[in-house]
Amino acid sequence: MSEAEKAGVAIVAVSPDPNERSQEMAERLRLGYRFVADHDLALTRRYGLVHARGGQHGEDVPTPTTVVLDRDGVVRWLWISDNFQVRPDPDAVLGAVRAL
Amino acid sequence: MRSGWLLALSVVVSASAIAVYTQLLRVAAVRNNPEGYVAAFAIAAAIAGLAVALRRRWYAWTVLALSLLLLLGGATFNFVLARIPAARTTLRVGERPPDFTLPDAGGRPVSLADYRGKQPVVLVFYRGYW
Repeated sequence: MSEAEKAGVAIVAVSPDPNERSQEMAERLRLGYRFVADHDLALTRRYGLVHARGGQHGEDVPTPTTVVLDRDGVVRWLWISDNFQVRPDPDAVLGAVRAL
Repeated sequence: MRSGWLLALSVVVSASAIAVYTQLLRVAAVRNNPEGYVAAFAIAAAIAGLAVALRRRWYAWTVLALSLLLLLGGATFNFVLARIPAARTTLRVGERPPDFTLPDAGGRPVSLADYRGKQPVVLVFYRGYW
């Protein structure tokens, strides 16, 4: 987390309904995270990341995905979940960032 | 090895698999390999099966039946229920995804363009709860 700051990378977390407290907490801990809201899943859909009816109540949800973009905005690393138990390995993400 | 010890071992393996799984979010090795518990249940069932083969007592059959139930439940959960279908994403390594502008919790707009030429970005899509 502070590894991200050391690596000089910005983190943008997109979800349909981010918890306001996430942003407050990030600011309090002085982490460079931005939590953004994609309420209608328009961006998620645009990037082709919707998991149709994957939510607890049958709603569409985003497929958990981590993308590393370089300074030119080009995708250099992409991890898309195929199992909701699995989170991306932070070391793998950090490795991808350091390799930029 | 005596049947009783094998049954105890089988129970310990199953119980350990469950205990380890509860650490899922905290330990990377467990988090990244959830199918580990399915393998553990399979091993526990095999050990119980061996115990039954040695001594066909009711308690041995019971442990075997429970092991098989855990294996079936675990396998169904991991390979069927937890599955996310492959997303037909437009994101490609080596390509630049289209920009966006979305509000953060404070209502301030965030765009990829804000970072272009300045910083790499780790963009994470998640369900709204970690």
